[in-house]
Amino acid sequence: MRRTDQMTGLVVFAGAVAFSATAWRQYAYWGENGPGPGFLPLWLGVAMAGLAALLFAGATRSRAVGAPWLPRGAGRRRLLAVLLATALFVALLDVVGMIFGTALFLAAILRLVERHAWPTALGVAAGAAAVNYLVFTYWLRVPFPVGVLGF
Amino acid sequence: MDLLTNLVLGFSIALTPFNLLMAVLGVIVGTLIGALPGIGPTSGVALLLPLTFGMSPTSGIIMLAAIYYGSMYGGTITSVLINTPGESASVVTCIDGYQMALQGRAGPALGVATIGSFIAGSLGVVLLMLMSPTLARWSLSFGPPEEFALMLLGLTTVTGLTGTNALKGYMSMVFGLMLAMAGFDIVSGRPRYTGGVTEMLDGFDFLPVAIGLFGMGEVLAGAEQAIDTRILRGRYGFRDCLPSTADWMRSRWAMLRGSVLGFFIGILPGAGATIASFLSYTVEKKVSRHPEEFGHGAIEGVAGPESANNAASAGAMVPLLTLGIPGSGTTAVLLGGLMMWGLRPGPLLFEKNPDFVWGLIASMYIGNVLLVILNIGFIPLFVRALRVPYSILMPLIIVFCITGAYSLNNKVWDVGQMLVFGVLGYAMKKLDYSPAALTLALVLGPLAERALRQSMIISDDGLGIFVLRPISAVLVALALAAVAVPVVRGARGAMARRRGLAAS
Repeated sequence: MRRTDQMTGLVVFAGAVAFSATAWRQYAYWGENGPGPGFLPLWLGVAMAGLAALLFAGATRSRAVGAPWLPRGAGRRRLLAVLLATALFVALLDVVGMIFGTALFLAAILRLVERHAWPTALGVAAGAAAVNYLVFTYWLRVPFPVGVLGF
Repeated sequence: MDLLTNLVLGFSIALTPFNLLMAVLGVIVGTLIGALPGIGPTSGVALLLPLTFGMSPTSGIIMLAAIYYGSMYGGTITSVLINTPGESASVVTCIDGYQMALQGRAGPALGVATIGSFIAGSLGVVLLMLMSPTLARWSLSFGPPEEFALMLLGLTTVTGLTGTNALKGYMSMVFGLMLAMAGFDIVSGRPRYTGGVTEMLDGFDFLPVAIGLFGMGEVLAGAEQAIDTRILRGRYGFRDCLPSTADWMRSRWAMLRGSVLGFFIGILPGAGATIASFLSYTVEKKVSRHPEEFGHGAIEGVAGPESANNAASAGAMVPLLTLGIPGSGTTAVLLGGLMMWGLRPGPLLFEKNPDFVWGLIASMYIGNVLLVILNIGFIPLFVRALRVPYSILMPLIIVFCITGAYSLNNKVWDVGQMLVFGVLGYAMKKLDYSPAALTLALVLGPLAERALRQSMIISDDGLGIFVLRPISAVLVALALAAVAVPVVRGARGAMARRRGLAAS
C-alpha cells in the first residue's frame, strides 16, 4: 500500500492544485459584499493539496511496504468480469432496455461468472426482470429505457 | 388543557378508518422502499407524492410521514444485512450493524434498531408536541454563522469514525466538499466545474454517489472474494431477533441518549438525521467502557444512531411545521407536497389548520406502534428473504443499484455516475479511505458553503463572526477539538513507537 499511497498523494496533489487554479482563474474570489463562487473551492484545493503532501511524506517515510491491495488470480478475474459486464449493461442500457437488459445481465453473470446451472441462472434472471417490471415500470411508473425490443 | 383538547382532536382524525389504513400502508411501503438499496426516504416520498394528490391533505401527509419513518427503519435492514445503507442516515449503522451480522448476530442488531426506533420515535413525537413553539423560537435565532458552525462540527466528527486513518478520513471529507462545488453556484447562479457537460449543471446528486460508493463498492469488494455467505448462516427465528438481556443492558442508555440527541439535532434547520446518527455514534464511542469494540460489532453502535435518526425525523418536523424550513432532504420534499395542497407551513399553520397538524402528530404516535409490531414480525421474514447465496444476491444488488440510480432522474447519466463511484468506493474501501465522510461532505457541502458565504456577507470581522457569536463559538471550538483529538493521538502513538524502537 506504500507505493499506492505515494502515487495517490502525487495524483491528488496535482488534482488539488488544478482545482484551486481553476477556482482562481475562472471564478470570482470575492464578490461585491462577500466571498464569491471561487472562495471556498480555492481553499478546499489548498487544504487537499496539504493533506496529499502529508500522505506522500508519510508513505515515503514509512518502512512498511504492506500487502498489495488489488487481488490477483481468480479474484482479479471475477472482479474484472463483474465490472465489465456491469459497464456493458450501463453502456447499452438505451439499446437493450432496462427489463431485457436486467435478464440478460443476470443470466450472463450467474451462468458465465458464478457457474450456476442454466435453470437457476435463467430462473433468477426471468424472475428479477419480472419483479423489476412490476415494481418500477408498472407500480412506480419509472420510465425505463425500453431498447430496440420494446421492453 | 389546550394540549389535551388538541391531542383528542388529532386522534379523532388519525383513527378514522381511511387515515389508519394510509398509516399502515405508508409504514409497510416505507419499510420496503427503505430496504431496497439506493431508494431512501427522500426518493421514496418523492416517488409516492403524486399518489396522495387524490386524497385530503391530512390523509396525504399521514401516508407520506408514515413512508418517511417506515423507510428510516427499512434502511437499517440493508445496512445490517448487506452493508448497503438505503439512505445517508443509515450509513453509520453499517459500521457495527454489518459486523454484528458477520458474527451471526443480525437478528439482535435489527431487533435493537426496531426497539430503539420505537422509543426514539415515540419520545420524539412527545417532544415535538410539547416543545415545538419554544424550540421554533430558539432555532429562529440561529443565523448562518451558527448553521455553518454546526455543519462544521458534523463534518469534523465524521473523521473520528474512520478509525484507522484520520488523514485519509480528512482527505475523503475534503474530496466530498470538492465534489459538492460542482454545478450551479447557489449564491451567484454561475455554473462551476461542469467541464461543459450539461448533466453536470446540477452537480453530483447524493443518491447515485451513495449507491455507487456503498452498494456497488461493496459488491465489487465481494466479487473478488470467493462466495461469502457468512452473513446468511445463523439463526434468525423470531426469538433470535429479540436482543438478549445483556444486549438490552448495553444499549438502553445508548437509545435514550440517541433519542434526545437526535431530536435536538433534527430540529435544527439544515442538520438532520444523518448528522444526528453520526454524532450519536461518536458519543457512544466516547462514553463506552469498551470503545475498542466499536467497528467490530458493538450493539451500542447500532442502538444509538438508529434511535437518533428516528428521533431526528420527528425533530425535523418541528422547523418544517412551525417555520416552513425543512430540516432534511425528505422534509424538503414534504414541504413541496404541503405547498401543492395549498397549505403554507409556518406559525399560522397551527392556528389555521389544527386538524391537519394534530392529525399528523397523532398519526405519528400510531405509526410508531405499527412500526414496532410490523417489524418485530417482519424481521425473520426479511432475513429469510436475504438468505440467498451471495453469488445470486451480488448481481441482484447490482441490478438494484442500476435501477435505483436510474429512477432518481430517469437518466442513464446517473447510472454511469453510480458506476464510476462504485469503482471509487471499492478503491476507497480497500485503501482505508472513508466513503461515509465523502458522502456526508457531499450532502452538507452546498448548505455549508451557503451558510459560510452568508455569514461572511453579514460579518464586519471576516471569519471573526464565527467566534464572536457565543453559540457558533462553542460549536466551532468543539469542531476544532474533534480535529485535534486524532492528531494528538497519532502524534503520541508515533512518539511512543519511537521510544519503543530506541529502547529496543
